[in-house]
Amino acid sequence: MGSAHSVPAEMRELADRTGFTSEQIEHLHRRFKQLSQDQLTIRKENFDNIPDLEFNPIRGKIVHAFFDKRNLRQESDGLADEINFEDFLTIMSYFRPIEMNMDEEQLDRFRKEKLKFLFHMYDSDHDGKITLQEYRNVVEELLSGNPHLEKESARSIADGAMMEAASICVGQMGPDQVYEGITFDDFLKMWQGIDIETKMHVRFLNVDTIAHCY
Amino acid sequence: MEDVWSLVLRVGAAWVALVFTLIVLPSALGVSLGISEAYLRVLVKTLEWATIRIEKGVKKPQPQIKTSATNGIIERDETPMEKEIVHPHRVDFEFSDIFYFCRKGFEAIVEDEVTQRFSSEELFSWNLLTRTNVNFHYISLRLTVVWVIGVIVRYCFLLPLRITLAAIGITSMIVGTTIVGQLPNSSMKDYLSEVVHLTCSRILVRALSGTIHYHNKENKPQKGGICVANHTSPIDAIILTNDGCYAMVGQVHGGLMGIIQRATVKACPHVWFERSEIKDRHLVTKRLREHVADKNKLPILIFPEGTCINNTSVMMFKKGSFEIGGTIYPVAIKYDPQFGDAFWNSSKYNIVSYLLRIMTSWAIVCNVWYMPPMVRQEGEDAVQFANRVRSAIARQGGLTELPWDGGLKRAKVKDTFKEEQQKNFSKMLVRNGSVGNLSAGTESD
Repeated sequence: MGSAHSVPAEMRELADRTGFTSEQIEHLHRRFKQLSQDQLTIRKENFDNIPDLEFNPIRGKIVHAFFDKRNLRQESDGLADEINFEDFLTIMSYFRPIEMNMDEEQLDRFRKEKLKFLFHMYDSDHDGKITLQEYRNVVEELLSGNPHLEKESARSIADGAMMEAASICVGQMGPDQVYEGITFDDFLKMWQGIDIETKMHVRFLNVDTIAHCY
Repeated sequence: MEDVWSLVLRVGAAWVALVFTLIVLPSALGVSLGISEAYLRVLVKTLEWATIRIEKGVKKPQPQIKTSATNGIIERDETPMEKEIVHPHRVDFEFSDIFYFCRKGFEAIVEDEVTQRFSSEELFSWNLLTRTNVNFHYISLRLTVVWVIGVIVRYCFLLPLRITLAAIGITSMIVGTTIVGQLPNSSMKDYLSEVVHLTCSRILVRALSGTIHYHNKENKPQKGGICVANHTSPIDAIILTNDGCYAMVGQVHGGLMGIIQRATVKACPHVWFERSEIKDRHLVTKRLREHVADKNKLPILIFPEGTCINNTSVMMFKKGSFEIGGTIYPVAIKYDPQFGDAFWNSSKYNIVSYLLRIMTSWAIVCNVWYMPPMVRQEGEDAVQFANRVRSAIARQGGLTELPWDGGLKRAKVKDTFKEEQQKNFSKMLVRNGSVGNLSAGTESD
């Protein structure tokens, strides 16, 4: 008892990079230890212990997103086998809400990063394009629980949405043109003017470790 | 050398005599000398002082924040799926629909309602036990000194006292019930068995410095009924038997526990099952039904959650206890975490280290509410009845309700739950789809 609480240098650096406060980082660190069962890294299997997550139809894609090297800001491509706490925080920072003191440039960058995260979730083969097949996969996963909905209906829903996307990105296509897929720039175009920030953030509270009066 | 020995013996004898007159005798007579109350008053004053000192020691001004039962790091967005996923452009599906599930998934990863219940509740203010708040800042010399005194008091004075009492309690329970068990069945035997059980429970409660407030005693479980309560620790049974006699239900253990079980069952008809019998649900239900049908037998005590939960919520009740029939007497138990954490995290601590932790806490303070009896109504199946009783207990104890199974501590979620969510989403889409298909048809032309 009585050890002086000095913020270690790495913590401060993490806080600056990811934008969380040091108390939030401490709290997330405890959560990380809980998930990893006191190991230094998390693997895909560790996410199996979260009952709330089982509920989620796109659970596979969410877990995949944690190990996706593109999201981890690493130069290489593909999937990582395990991630450490720094990587965990990096992924968490995609879901931070916008702050009041951000300027135009920061806001724009923030928005782009969130959209990129979403893009990577759809683009499962990492080729930089969302093809019709990949889109269909996502819709099917979301609808897979309903036995009454046939595969055909799921497909037609996906096709309809893809057509809509194509018309925004490329305009009217000739009968011979084949739409290869949505690139990231097209993706950005689709979202112009639409406010995604409120939909894609998790409200982190400010937690303090010091006592309060009852 | 001899002088030292005789001195030690004299001190030992004086110690035992003191314990006997001040604690054991009043327990037998059911009388309270008021020592516990005085101790608690001093304790509360000290903790209040400590909190104020901590407040003063803090440099930046703290806003008044209300303590919440669940300390979370995120504010969950409770907007239902239907409101969130609106399709203003009359398409069936939009890229953004995935946002909702994405966010829900993230919220679950950062903070998960269920796993939270299996770790001890965190206190917002410090109660001078390092185990509750490890990240504590160093505040002042005076506080540290008080903490050190606290440690000395707890480990050098309270701990030996409590261990002595626990030993006395357990031995007298075994000896007493064995003696009573030799008598032939008669009302005298029942009376004596009641006396022995009550006395030993009281001694054990004092061994934990337990202060229990019982509310609504007029609703106490009657003979031939079933008493159900929420489960936080193995001590729950002792807390309840402190005030009345119950027939316990459980599995036969080995070791010390087994000796206690074998001794007590001679005096009083507890229901102990062999490990093999537990697997056979019909056998279990049959035996319990027989017990309940006999109106002379003591009420059974059951904890339907099946495992220890951290006392901030009530999890799913297993329906087996509610299929037996008879009258159910619900009881809500809520511990005050300020004086000591009673939750047994069985994956982290084994029973011995758990008991040591309990015995080196300040005290165990809890409230017990007896609730009016409930019976299964017409057209209600066991699961619905179980949920009704659970809501009543949660409401009374000020706990939240979770529909999850306590078994999730160790097992995985059933696939049926997962499919529910997917069904809801696709139902929504198909509803939109039947309208949207028409517009899509015209668009693609």
